[in-house]
Amino acid sequence: MISVNPTTTNAEKLDLANLAPEQTALSIKNLDLFYGEDQALYDISMHVPKNRVTAFIGPSGCGKSTLLRCINRMNDLVEICKVKGDIELHGKNIYDKDVDVAALRRRIGMVFQRPNPFPKSIYENVVYGLRLQGVKDRRVLDEAVETSLRGAALWDEVKDRLNASAFSLSGGQQQRLVIARSIAIEPEILLLDEPTSALDPISTLTIEELITDLKKKFTVVIVTHNMQQAARVSDQTAFLYMGKLIEYADTDTLFTTPSEKQTEDYITGRYG
Amino acid sequence: MDKMNMGKHISGKFNEELEAVRNRVLSMGGMVEQQISDALEAIQKADVELAEKVLNSDHKINKLEVQIDEECVHIIAKRQPAASDLRLVIAIIKTIADLERIGDEAERIAKVAKESFSKDQEQLLVSLENLGLHVLSMLRKVLDAFARMDLEAAYEVHQQDEQADRQYEALTRQLMTYMMEDSRSIPKIMDVLWSARSLERMGDRCQNIAEYIIFFVKGKDVRHVSAESMQRTVMGNKKPD
Repeated sequence: MISVNPTTTNAEKLDLANLAPEQTALSIKNLDLFYGEDQALYDISMHVPKNRVTAFIGPSGCGKSTLLRCINRMNDLVEICKVKGDIELHGKNIYDKDVDVAALRRRIGMVFQRPNPFPKSIYENVVYGLRLQGVKDRRVLDEAVETSLRGAALWDEVKDRLNASAFSLSGGQQQRLVIARSIAIEPEILLLDEPTSALDPISTLTIEELITDLKKKFTVVIVTHNMQQAARVSDQTAFLYMGKLIEYADTDTLFTTPSEKQTEDYITGRYG
Repeated sequence: MDKMNMGKHISGKFNEELEAVRNRVLSMGGMVEQQISDALEAIQKADVELAEKVLNSDHKINKLEVQIDEECVHIIAKRQPAASDLRLVIAIIKTIADLERIGDEAERIAKVAKESFSKDQEQLLVSLENLGLHVLSMLRKVLDAFARMDLEAAYEVHQQDEQADRQYEALTRQLMTYMMEDSRSIPKIMDVLWSARSLERMGDRCQNIAEYIIFFVKGKDVRHVSAESMQRTVMGNKKPD
C-alpha cells in the first residue's frame, strides 16, 4: 500500500479562526498599540496555537517585533508606549493590573536577534534563572543544565567545558546557549526575535532544526525577516503590513496560495 | 500579462528570467504546433519530404525542453519562488513535458505519412484530418490561453477534449468496419488507427496544459477532479452561462 500522506507539508492544519481552548496558547484580541501619538498596531486579533511554531513576517517597521514584544510585555519598558486590547494567556489578560510581570516573563521566555550570554560560565548562564528563583540544590541545577543544553542541541559540544566562559562559544553556539537559558526555567511560550539574523547559514540551519524540536515541549513564536525560514520552520504564518494583520494562515497555504494580494506581493518580492 | 504581474519584482533580473523562460515556452509551443500542422499536411498530401522535415525537426523541440527545464531549475535554486511565481515555474515545467510528448506524437504521424496509401485507403485519411484539425485548434487555443494565463480560455479547451474523444471513437469504429470488410488492408488501417490514437493523445495533453493554467491562476490542482468541482474552481461563485 502506497502512503498518500504528503510528507513535505508542515503539521496538520488547524482552524485558526475557531481554535479550541485546549489548543490555544495565547489569544490576542483587538490589540492596538501606540508610541505616543503614533499608532504602531491596529486591531490585531489572532489565536496562537499550542505546541506549534507561529511566524510573524512583514517588511521592516510593519510591527511584527512590536507585536512579539507585547506578548511578554517588553513594551512596558518603553515609556511612551500604550497598549489597548487583550492578550489572553489561559483566559487571563496579561495586561491586567494584578499580573506580576516577572512571573509572566518566566512563563513566556524571549530570545533576541544578537546572542546575549551573560559574562559568566556556560553552566552559570543556564542556571541563571533558576538561581534567581532560589534553587540551590546542586543536583537539580546539574540536571537542568544537561536537560536544557540537550534541549538546545548544544550539550554534545560543550559538556566537557561547562565552566568555560560563554564568550568562548561561537555566535551560533551562543545563541543556542541563550535558548538553553530560556528553556531552563521551563516557560510555556518561547518568543524568538529574529534569532538567526546574526548567524551564518549553517548555524541558522542548526537553530531551525532546534526550533522544530522545541515545539514538542513549548509553543514557539518567531519573528523573522527571512521568508524562507518562516516557510521552513513555522506551522502557521502571520503577515503584517503597516501595523495591520493582513493574513494569518497555515504556512503551506500562505506560501503557495495566499488569499491577499499584499501577502502575495510581499512573499514574491514585488513592490505593491 | 498584467494578470501574471511578472514585471513587478523588485529584482529586475528575476523579471527578465521569468519573461525569458515564458517566451521560450511559447516558442516551443509554436514549434510543436508547426510540427502537427506539417505532419497532418504530409499525411494528407502523401508528402514524404514534408514528413522527413517533421522527423528531422523533433530534436529542436527536445533541446528546447531541456533548456527550459534547466532555466527553471536555476530559477528555483537562485530565487526560491513563492506563491504565483512558484506556480508559474511548476506550470512551465509540466507544460513543456506535455508539449514535448505532443511533438513525439507528431513525429509518429509523420512516420505514417511516409507510407504509401492506395486510392481506396486515402478516404480513411479524410476523417483523420477532421480529428487532426480539431486537435490543432485545441493546441492553438491552449497556447494562447497560456500566453495570457486566461482561465476561461483554458477551461474551454479542457471541455473541447470530449469532442476529440468522440471523434476518435467514431473513427475507430469506422476503421474496424474497414478491417472486417477487407483483411488485406489491416496493416495500412492500423497505421491510420495509430495516427488517430496519436491525435487523441495530443488532445489529452492539451487538456493537461489547460489544467496547469487553471492551477497557475487559481492555485488549485484540478487534475482528477469531477467536472462539477472543476467548474466550481474555474467559475468561483459565478453562475455558469
